[in-house]
Amino acid sequence: MIETTPTVFVVDDDPSVGRAIKRLVESVGLQVAHFGSAQEFLRSERPDAPSCLVLDVRLPGVSGLDFQHELAEANIRIPIVFVTAHGDIQMTVRAMKAGAVEFLTKPFRDQDLLDAVQVALERDRARRQREAGIATLRDRYESLSAREREVVAMVVSANSTSRLRRRLEPRKIL
Amino acid sequence: MTGSYDYGEVTRSIMIAVAASYAALDLAGRVAAARGRTRAAWLTSGAIAMGIGIWAMHFKGMIAFQLPVSVEYHWPTVLASLSVAILASAVALYATSRQKMRPVEALTGSVIMGSGIAGMHYIGIAAMRLPAVTHFSLLLVTFSILLAILFSLVALLLAFDLREENKGTALRKIGSAVVMGTAISAMHYTGMAAASFVPSAVPLNLSHAMGISPLGSYGIAIVTFLVLGAAILTSSVDRRADVTVRQINRDLEHQVVERTTQLGATNEKLRREIAERERADEALRQSEDGLRLVIDTIPALVWSKLPDGSADFLNQRFREYTGLSVEEGLGEGWLRAIHPEDPASSFDGWRAAFAAGKPFEFEARLRRADGEYRWFLFRGEPLRDEAGRIVKWYGTTTDIEDRKQAEWVLQEAQAGLAHVTRLTTMGELVGAIAHEVNQPIAAIVTNANFCLRQLASATPHPDKLREAISEIVNDGTRASAVISRIRALLQKGTPKRVAVDINQIIQEVAILLRNELARNHVSLRMDLGSDLPRVGGDGVLLQQVLINLIMNGIEAVSSIVRGVRELAIKSSRDHNNEVSIQVKDSGSGFDPQQAEHIFEPFFTTKPEGIGMGLSISRSIVESHGGRLWAESGPTGALFQVTLPAYGRGVP
Repeated sequence: MIETTPTVFVVDDDPSVGRAIKRLVESVGLQVAHFGSAQEFLRSERPDAPSCLVLDVRLPGVSGLDFQHELAEANIRIPIVFVTAHGDIQMTVRAMKAGAVEFLTKPFRDQDLLDAVQVALERDRARRQREAGIATLRDRYESLSAREREVVAMVVSANSTSRLRRRLEPRKIL
Repeated sequence: MTGSYDYGEVTRSIMIAVAASYAALDLAGRVAAARGRTRAAWLTSGAIAMGIGIWAMHFKGMIAFQLPVSVEYHWPTVLASLSVAILASAVALYATSRQKMRPVEALTGSVIMGSGIAGMHYIGIAAMRLPAVTHFSLLLVTFSILLAILFSLVALLLAFDLREENKGTALRKIGSAVVMGTAISAMHYTGMAAASFVPSAVPLNLSHAMGISPLGSYGIAIVTFLVLGAAILTSSVDRRADVTVRQINRDLEHQVVERTTQLGATNEKLRREIAERERADEALRQSEDGLRLVIDTIPALVWSKLPDGSADFLNQRFREYTGLSVEEGLGEGWLRAIHPEDPASSFDGWRAAFAAGKPFEFEARLRRADGEYRWFLFRGEPLRDEAGRIVKWYGTTTDIEDRKQAEWVLQEAQAGLAHVTRLTTMGELVGAIAHEVNQPIAAIVTNANFCLRQLASATPHPDKLREAISEIVNDGTRASAVISRIRALLQKGTPKRVAVDINQIIQEVAILLRNELARNHVSLRMDLGSDLPRVGGDGVLLQQVLINLIMNGIEAVSSIVRGVRELAIKSSRDHNNEVSIQVKDSGSGFDPQQAEHIFEPFFTTKPEGIGMGLSISRSIVESHGGRLWAESGPTGALFQVTLPAYGRGVP
């Protein structure tokens, strides 16, 4: 499986902050796309590659935390790294419980952000592989005949080969 | 030997008989009307008169019988006959004077009377002394006795019938007397006829005998008439007197009956009045009981006091609540139930209220029987007489503890709200500042880190470095601009410019913070100038400044353990026609070198402070064209605000 270039999506309404994050993350060889709002991000074409989201909590319109919830509802499972100018414990707990990778307070240490982005991308990569594996299995399963599927079910449910043999005996397989 | 009758004497004898009969009938009435001794006297004298009358008639009848020989009379026998006549008369009178006369009594009476008269007749004949032997015809004797009895019966019945004194009885009485007299005469002459005299030569025993001369005969008649007349006259007088007495008696009785009736009526009226009065009393009592019940059960303590203020009535609820007995509570005793710290616990306060003579009301704590104090509202109302003098004070004392509690809760809520408002306003402000400033700082830090990384790498990109550094410069400028913008916002963000009464704002703030002051046991002294000009500005912002200063003051003095926790607010007009407000606390003050630092943002000496209060306050005051500064003296900190009068010096 060929690894495509991972992409980091940055959603921050402050263009200056957005550009700074983009510059920093690009400097470690990652592809970065910056959006000023959640809506812009949703409208964008996202490449089929491992990706993560660096999300500001305070956004125009819907807040970062609510947006996290919306993404989960829409089954868009992209790992999220939160950044905020002023966060509190309650906010952090809520974000982490909902599956955020990290919750960073501005101004953050550059390495903290980069580490969080790496963790997020790794998590997404793993997810993608898991999903790809399942897709391959599904494709193979789809290629089986009806009888083959029955046998697969028997193989899965039977707890010994002798019992499996007994159950398959009356008929030829092929 | 035959005799002849002298008819003159016969006539006289009959007249005597009629007169005696009349007397008898008359006397029977008298005897019947009399009682006791009078009755006995009447009976005796009547019997004598009647007896004499009968006897006289008889004797006259004998005298009327003339024999050819001289006749003398043995007088003791004559007296005996007279006695018998009197006795018979007595029996007759007795019989007829009884209240009732039954047939047996009438018959017995008539037999006795008739026998008596017959006895008298024949005894009388036996008294005759004449030279002859007397023979009696048995038939005629019997007949005469029966006649006597019959006559007696008729006489008794007539007498009994006529004894009542009625009008018109006089004629009947005379008629009856004539009949009776005639009957007596008839009996007599029958008796005479029964006797026949045969001449004999036997010598006469003439001892005790005497002859009757014509003069004596007349004398007997005259005496008899006199006796009978006297008897009738006496009877008549007595009867008349009796009639008068009876009349008087009847009148009296009538009057008595009338009076009794009147008295009865009066009595009845009186009884009705008494019953009416009793009903009214009962109604009054019930009404009083009802009123007392109302006074004892209404949900308030009720009392009445004399003009000098001493209690003369406390209702049951009052006594039950305070646990004071009637004796303990009356007079000035009820004062003991009032909390000693309340002004109402001293009698002087009450005296002043009573002396003022106007309805009053005030609040005080009243001790319950179990020792707990609750707040009560005392209200009094004077009762005046026609001259306007106060006769009594009436009042109620109502439990307002719950209301008080609610008031406190409300005050606390208000103060809390003021506090929260202040904190939220500041918090939001701080949050906004933090976010606004944090964004460029975050960008700067990130870009700077990028630069460091570039410089550390083997192949740094100068273009990218320049780009990042110029962004750092831009963001630095931006951060500074944010701060300026906030300051500008505070300075220019007061679109409201109206005339504001500073004293009113101070008073509002004092009310808002009343509970905060009380909670920290801080007393607030206010000295508000009376001639202040109004200032132009936003009342809410100025209120925030004062809240800030007072809250700072409260915090400054709340650490004082011993000593006065006091805040003083003074408003005055200064020489520039500016309004000056001073907030002074009794705390330990601050280091004079810090006098200006305390107004810098984020400068704080308090562990939980954020150091924005005074900074913002100064911004607000300056935006109103005024000044805010602080001084620290030996007796605590003094914060001073000056604000220009409205319409002058506002930038």
